[in-house]
Amino acid sequence: MDHRFQVSLRGVIDLLSHHLYSSPGVYVRELLQNATDAIRARQHLEPGHTGTVRLELMEKQDGSPPTLLFTDDGVGLTEDEIHRFLATIGESSKREALEARRNDFIGQFGIGLLSCFMVCDELLVVTRSARGDGRTLEWRGRHDGTYAVRESEHPLAQPGTQVFLVARPDMAEWFNARRLRSLASHYGGLLPFPIHLTTPEGSERLDVNGAPWRREYESAAERRKALLAYGRELFDTDFIDCIPLRSTAGDVDGVAFVLPASPHFNSRQKHRVYLKHMLLSESAENLLPDWAFFVKCVVNANALRPTASRESFYEDESLAAARAALGQGLRAYLMELAREDPRALQRLIALHGLSVKALALDDDDFYRLVIHWLPFETSLGMMTLADYRRAHAVVRYTSTLDGFRQISQVAGAQGLCIINAAYTHDTALLEKLPHVVPDAEVEPFSSADLPQSFEELTLDEREATFPLLRVAEGVLAPFRCGAVVKKFFPAEVPTLYSSDADGAFRRDAERAREESDDLYAGVLDGLMAATGGEQAQLCFNLHNPVVRRLAAVADRDLMKLSVEMLYVQALLLGHHPLNAQEMVLLNQGLLGLISAQLGGDTGGGGEGTGGAGPRGLH
Amino acid sequence: MTGDWREQAEALFEEADGLAEGESKVRLLEEAVRLADAHKDVGLAYRLRDTLIDAATFGGFPDKALVAFAWCRGQQKKDPKRFDPEEMLWKQKWVVGRIKEFPHITRKQIADALDDVEQCYKASGSGDRAVLKLRYQAAREMGDAPEVVEQLWNAWLEARRDYLTDCRVCELDDELDHHVDMGEWQQVLRKAKPILDGRKSCAEIPHLTLGTVLYPLFKLGAMEQAREVHRRGYAMVTKNREFLSTVGEHLEFLTLTDNLSRGLSLLEKHLGWALDHPSYRDRFTFYTAAAFLLERLLATGERDEVSLRLPRAFPEYKVDGGYDVRALHAWTLGQARDIANRFDTRNGTDRFARLLARNQVLAGEVHPFPIDAKP
Repeated sequence: MDHRFQVSLRGVIDLLSHHLYSSPGVYVRELLQNATDAIRARQHLEPGHTGTVRLELMEKQDGSPPTLLFTDDGVGLTEDEIHRFLATIGESSKREALEARRNDFIGQFGIGLLSCFMVCDELLVVTRSARGDGRTLEWRGRHDGTYAVRESEHPLAQPGTQVFLVARPDMAEWFNARRLRSLASHYGGLLPFPIHLTTPEGSERLDVNGAPWRREYESAAERRKALLAYGRELFDTDFIDCIPLRSTAGDVDGVAFVLPASPHFNSRQKHRVYLKHMLLSESAENLLPDWAFFVKCVVNANALRPTASRESFYEDESLAAARAALGQGLRAYLMELAREDPRALQRLIALHGLSVKALALDDDDFYRLVIHWLPFETSLGMMTLADYRRAHAVVRYTSTLDGFRQISQVAGAQGLCIINAAYTHDTALLEKLPHVVPDAEVEPFSSADLPQSFEELTLDEREATFPLLRVAEGVLAPFRCGAVVKKFFPAEVPTLYSSDADGAFRRDAERAREESDDLYAGVLDGLMAATGGEQAQLCFNLHNPVVRRLAAVADRDLMKLSVEMLYVQALLLGHHPLNAQEMVLLNQGLLGLISAQLGGDTGGGGEGTGGAGPRGLH
Repeated sequence: MTGDWREQAEALFEEADGLAEGESKVRLLEEAVRLADAHKDVGLAYRLRDTLIDAATFGGFPDKALVAFAWCRGQQKKDPKRFDPEEMLWKQKWVVGRIKEFPHITRKQIADALDDVEQCYKASGSGDRAVLKLRYQAAREMGDAPEVVEQLWNAWLEARRDYLTDCRVCELDDELDHHVDMGEWQQVLRKAKPILDGRKSCAEIPHLTLGTVLYPLFKLGAMEQAREVHRRGYAMVTKNREFLSTVGEHLEFLTLTDNLSRGLSLLEKHLGWALDHPSYRDRFTFYTAAAFLLERLLATGERDEVSLRLPRAFPEYKVDGGYDVRALHAWTLGQARDIANRFDTRNGTDRFARLLARNQVLAGEVHPFPIDAKP
């Protein structure tokens, strides 16, 4: 009764080993999968049947390659089923077709067996079906595509299946005790029935007794301890907490571990997932909602569909529903922390603020609960939003780092508390506040708003500084910059240069334009024609002694020179690179001031300290 | 102080390096560039801008990429030994490929920039195919005569690949536009298959592709697949303003399938990007889709007012979040029309007016198909 497969078996094996499987060790997974399916089928017929899998490694005295005997007490195969699995393999010359066959018990059995040809040239399958006539059949197949089916001379006492694999000499390394132990525990670590391993070194029962998160524990503390130990063993990480996961959709359960450090943004967490208790992937990515990158999890799913590559799950309704349910579990955990243990929540926020913020953006209830615990950088130091709102009626923020740097020192000195909302999600979170907390007021704030908070000049002061203002307006106009005189703190700051984000970009573009060739200078002109924005402003501080003296200087040339220098200084202090024109100001200005100092005849500015001008300020 | 600023620039660079593509990353690099400029460190400023061009290109700031490139270009001209133009030829494609999206840049300047790429590439002995693709895309986008566009399309595909040619996947994605223009829906899907199956990808592929194929799938009645593509694709583009126009495609799809509530939540979420997006082209796609959505909402007559959380920067911002649908529709349509006028005036064609008029055609094609899972 010799037969030949209808297609070249080599082709299928080649397909399996090169395109479907990452390593020859996968044959252990496939055999375990077959055994699991068979045991589950038998349990269906005989409720109460426990099921056992045995791996027996037989090494030869003469040093020739070892043999592995893989036994299960599952449902076994009838003769008809044997012929069917062979037929399905014969049709499966395409990867997609192979994948489709996996959904069927017999198809999976055949594909699983074929994977063994990655490590051996000949296979013997001895099987007795629980549904058959009690006969024991054997199938002997070779990698060249020939096989034979006949009744076995060594009948099995019980239903079940035995697979004999004689290691191919070049693959003997996949047949030693250490490797078998590690492969079987790796793939079958969650199996709800025992796996026995017998080697020349002795017999052992592998430590597989179902999912640790389903076991009973003496107390919640014991449970936590055991699960954290399990997490450490799996991922080699000391997690800070664990969260139970469950979803009816997809029939998923498992545990999520809270990472002890903030993950890098693009290292999407890779989760360990089991499909029907067999390891599917150690790098599944699409299991949790996007925001939940603060945990790494291990789950078993009974009703989700794996993708062809078996790296993750297929994007379908069940997965979407399961993802939402698992997200709810994580959310419930965070909600409970916020209510029961705010300090723990704050520690978590310190580590995983981005996750918390991302969820808060999408979820109003969660937002309401956590927003006031979130810490923000402000012009008066770090504080939570709760602290901020206790002290300040209106929440003010800047959305850019640049904007915040420009104002933080001066705003702080006026007692103005401004939030730096340049960090990811912060602006959106703050803008959301009035929608969720009805009495909250939130306002964007820029350096252009700052002078409004400064003290206005008195009528006298205004009159006294009028010449300075006029000179400054004249000097600064070519730089698209306005001038104003006010009083603000700290007094050591003589001027404040303010511009909006467009202003900073305009300055960047101007510098690029100066550096570039005609073609790109023209293109940049076209680009800049579209940008609007307020013009920049230089605000003089009349609290500053130098500015007070400057306002009183009679020599217009010296006043002009001083304004130019104050302008350049303000730019440099604000880290605004100078354009070519401004560089000219700086160079000429320095020389001018030096020569004024040396010459001594340039008037007002050089005279002694405290000299009030003719219309001196009080 | 000198050691200080270098450390600061380095820290900004490191921080940017750890961020996903997007605004924050761009802003940090800009800061670092300004530090280097302020201290006149041309070498560092060049290297930082080199990185900034990438961040700005992939983070939705083509204007900032252009400015950074123009500066680098100036340095290359001054000192080609120190700043080798050859190393930036690849990025030149990105920059030149997008200048047509700024309506104030003239046709002449666009043509000159294209000629300039050609010359720069010729000097390196390669790049014909890359240049032809840029020319084809510019002509198509500016609404040039069909025979001109067709001729460039053929010339592009006939040219030989070389090291300056975009990767096969990106080219494949760009080819889809042509078939969409022709209404060759089946062909779009045939070509897109390796991308849709996940066998081929690139930095922005399949993100862009999953938006492009929505309408073809809709036209073919492949609704189940379209829904899956929408779900998968939208999730990929929801965090990066670079994908504003792809968001617009999803918005159009939601309107075509009568998922108006879901459409409104997209509008709410992404209007902020459109308000100050440097690419007027991307703004146009988004506003046009938004106008289509609001038009449908008006047509159903169910609601005169919608409650939306729009950003404060929205000129008609309401604190209570209640917006008159008619007014909102008029505003978005006004924006789309204004941009269309600017482009058509610049281009001397009517392509954008036609793209806007397409909304009338779409209105007749609406076919309800629920996206949200039943509760």
